[in-house]
Formats: sequence, C-alpha cells, structure tokens
Amino acid sequence: MFLECRDLGYRYPQSPEFVFQDISLQLDTPGFHALFGPSGVGKTSFAKLLTGDINGYTGEILKKENAIFLYTYNQERLPGWSSIGRHLDKITPPGMADLCQELVEIFGMEPFMNQKFSQLSLGQQNRINLIRYLLQDFDLLVMDESLANVDERSKENIIFKIKERFPDKYFLYISHNLMEVSKFSNAILVLLKAGKQPQTSLIKGLNIHRNDVINSHELDTVLLGIMNAC
Amino acid sequence: MLVRRISQFFIVYGAGIGFLLALKSILGLSDYVIPGFMEIWNTGLAVANDYLYDVLNTLGVAMIGQILSIIMAFSIGTAARKSSWLGSFIKAAAYNIQAYPIVAVAPIIFILLGDGFASRLIIAAMICYFPLLLSVVSIMSEPITDIEHFYLATGRMRWQLEIKIRAFENIRKLTTVISGSATLAMAGTIVAEFIAANAGIGHAIRIALYQSDLSRILAALFLIGIFLSLYQGTLEWLGEKIIKKWVILDPEEIP
Repeated sequence: MFLECRDLGYRYPQSPEFVFQDISLQLDTPGFHALFGPSGVGKTSFAKLLTGDINGYTGEILKKENAIFLYTYNQERLPGWSSIGRHLDKITPPGMADLCQELVEIFGMEPFMNQKFSQLSLGQQNRINLIRYLLQDFDLLVMDESLANVDERSKENIIFKIKERFPDKYFLYISHNLMEVSKFSNAILVLLKAGKQPQTSLIKGLNIHRNDVINSHELDTVLLGIMNAC
Repeated sequence: MLVRRISQFFIVYGAGIGFLLALKSILGLSDYVIPGFMEIWNTGLAVANDYLYDVLNTLGVAMIGQILSIIMAFSIGTAARKSSWLGSFIKAAAYNIQAYPIVAVAPIIFILLGDGFASRLIIAAMICYFPLLLSVVSIMSEPITDIEHFYLATGRMRWQLEIKIRAFENIRKLTTVISGSATLAMAGTIVAEFIAANAGIGHAIRIALYQSDLSRILAALFLIGIFLSLYQGTLEWLGEKIIKKWVILDPEEIP
C-alpha cells in the first residue's frame, strides 16, 4: 500500500462546514494521476493534507513508511537575489546535475538560466519551479496547477518527459483542464462539492505516452465520465 | 534625491522664517522677541563656525547611536520573529516599552553616567531603537510563503536563509525605516544635549534659550536641517544602491 485515505474530512479552522467529508481512496500504482473538480471543492486542501502541509483532518491517511510527499503550486517563487541557473545549482542534490541539465533542456529553459525569476514569463516561472521539485528526493509530487500558463505543446512534452524519466514515482496533477487531465492521467479522482453523495468519483484516464495515438471514442468516454461525475 | 531633500528643507525653513517675520510685523513684536532678518543673518554668520562643529559633534553621536540601535533592533527583531515563547515575550515587551516616552528616562541616565558622550549616545540609541525594533519584528515575522514553501518542504530551511528571504522581499521597507530612523537618532541626541550634556548643538540651543536669543536658535535649526537632510539623503542613496545591486539587476547576470 502506497497511499490510503479512509473517511477523510476537512474543515477550515473556526469553520463549522466541512470542505469535504468521507473521502476514501487507495493509490497503489505509480504514474501520473489527477485530481479534478470545480473551484472551491477542496482540491488544494486535500492535496496539502496528503503532503502534511496542513493538518486538522478527520479520518485516516496511511502512507508507505518513509515515503516523501511534496506539494508544489503555481504561484511559488524563487528567491530574486540570484539567477535561476545559480539557484538550480544550489538546490540540485549531489549526483543530479545531469538530470538538472536534461530537464532544463526538455522544459525549454536553457536560454533563461542567467535571468532572475522576476524577469521570466508566468509559464517560464512555473516550469523552473517544477524543475527544482523534480530534482528533489520524493515519492509523490502533487502538482497544483504547476503547468498553468505553459503552452499546450510544451506542456505535453513536459508531461511525457515526466512519465518517461520518473516511471516509479507518483504524481498527482491538479488542473481545471478537462482535456489534459483525461488524456495524460492514469487515475482521475473527481472531487465534488460538500454534501453530494458520493463526494468523490474515481475515473480511469487514457494515460497516453509519447507517440501513442489517441482513440477519440475512448477519450469521449473519459470526458463524459468526468462530466457526469461532476 | 539628495538635492530634492535639501531644496525641500530650504522651502520649509524659508516658510518658517517668513512666518516668524510676518508675525513680528503683524503683532508689532520687538527685536528681543523676534529679531529682524538682518540680525538673524548676521548672528548666523557669527556663530556658523562654532555651530558647525557642534552640529557635526551631534551628528556623529546620532550616527553611532543609530548604528547601535540598528544592530540591536536586527538582532532582537530576528530573534523575536518566531511565534515561540521568547518571540512573543520580546514582541510584547517591545510594544509596551515603546509606548513609554523614553525621553522621560533620560534624567536617570544623566544621574548615573554624568553628562558626557555615553549618556548622549545611550539616549540617542534608545529613542531610535524601539520604533526600529517594532518595524523589524513586524517585517521579519511575516512569512513569504511563496518562496519559503520549497525550502520548508524539502528540509532546506535555515534561520539565516529565512532572514535573508524576508529581508530581501522587504528591502524597500527596511531601507525606508532605517533612513527614517536617522531623524529619531538626531532628535534623541539633541534632546539629551538639551537636558544635561556639555557639548553638541542641543547644548548650544540650551545656552541660546537661556539668553532668549532666537537668532542663534534659528541658526542652529538651519544647520541641523541641512546636515540631517544630507545624512538622510545619503542613507536613501545607499539604500537605492543596495536595492539596485541586490534586487533589480546584476549586470553580470544579464545575457
């Protein structure tokens, strides 16, 4: 068992209302998974509970022993006093310099290594932020809108690269983009507003890899499944 | 920036002199109460050398006092940034002490240490210190979540890094607070000299006050204003230099 949630519930401190309640799920297959749902259903809170960024929940979260869960989101910033290249050098663990170089190339960030974070576009900022998390030791990485403002082609390339380079890791991708969630994810956990029963629905995505041909009928089925669940 | 500061001071000082002369003219006050323009001018020229030395003496004490208070405020303020018992205690103590008029404690310092350099320095530093401490505490207590999250999540956060991040993100506020505290340090030193010291421009003003010599007081105020503007302007210029070097552009890093 890698991750299991039993009857998980959460409400903000001082709030009588639950953001979500009675969520149970199991995650045992490494790969690219997604968390989907309308705004305000508690996707970020749920993800932060898993990574331990917030506490105060009801129910149980069971994790594989010593598993490292990291959470990254799209508004994170790098310190502005040095160039992003220098920052990456500092936070790259020993022996990961080649991976760093590879990711920088794949993510299309090579020409910007001498620039400071504030000089980058939003999409570039998100890409460089994701690179530094991918260089860390982790078992599950929650990517909360981590590829927002990145163009479709680059986004696809990045997700394929993540799948190829980290086949044994778990990824939980939070996005509002129905199409990309359906295409790239293995398991899609759809979170619904509090009060709806059941509050979650687990849907199998297409989980496509580089050079896979998309079957439009299967894609339609996944899309419909998610929309019906919502 | 420096020129703007000095020109602003000239306008304010000129307006002040103009107001006094207008008051003298409207109320028909004697030269003993408010001297005429020429008397102010001549007295200013006569005491310029002595007062220049006095102002520099006062400014020197104020600068040392300010540096001391900056060092203390940053040391204590960074220690108080945590929401620990010690942090909360320091914050509460700083707020309470700040609410008390420090200048009222000055006589005790003169009784204990006499009217020399040390008393002036301590009073200048004390008056400058508490407002600085409150600013530093409030800036350093505020987490920069968007930057700090990565370091916390990956176990890389060290207290030095936390302080660096918060100082960097608030560099403009910090430089403004530091240059603003120069006025407090100068005011503290002058008040100390005014109460009991044996040197400095505050001491000269006290003598002029006993002689009811408004011309000398105005000459002293003129020099205080000029040198304080110069000092604050220099601090602001230094602050801008630091911001440009550290925050905005590092020429070596631009392709």
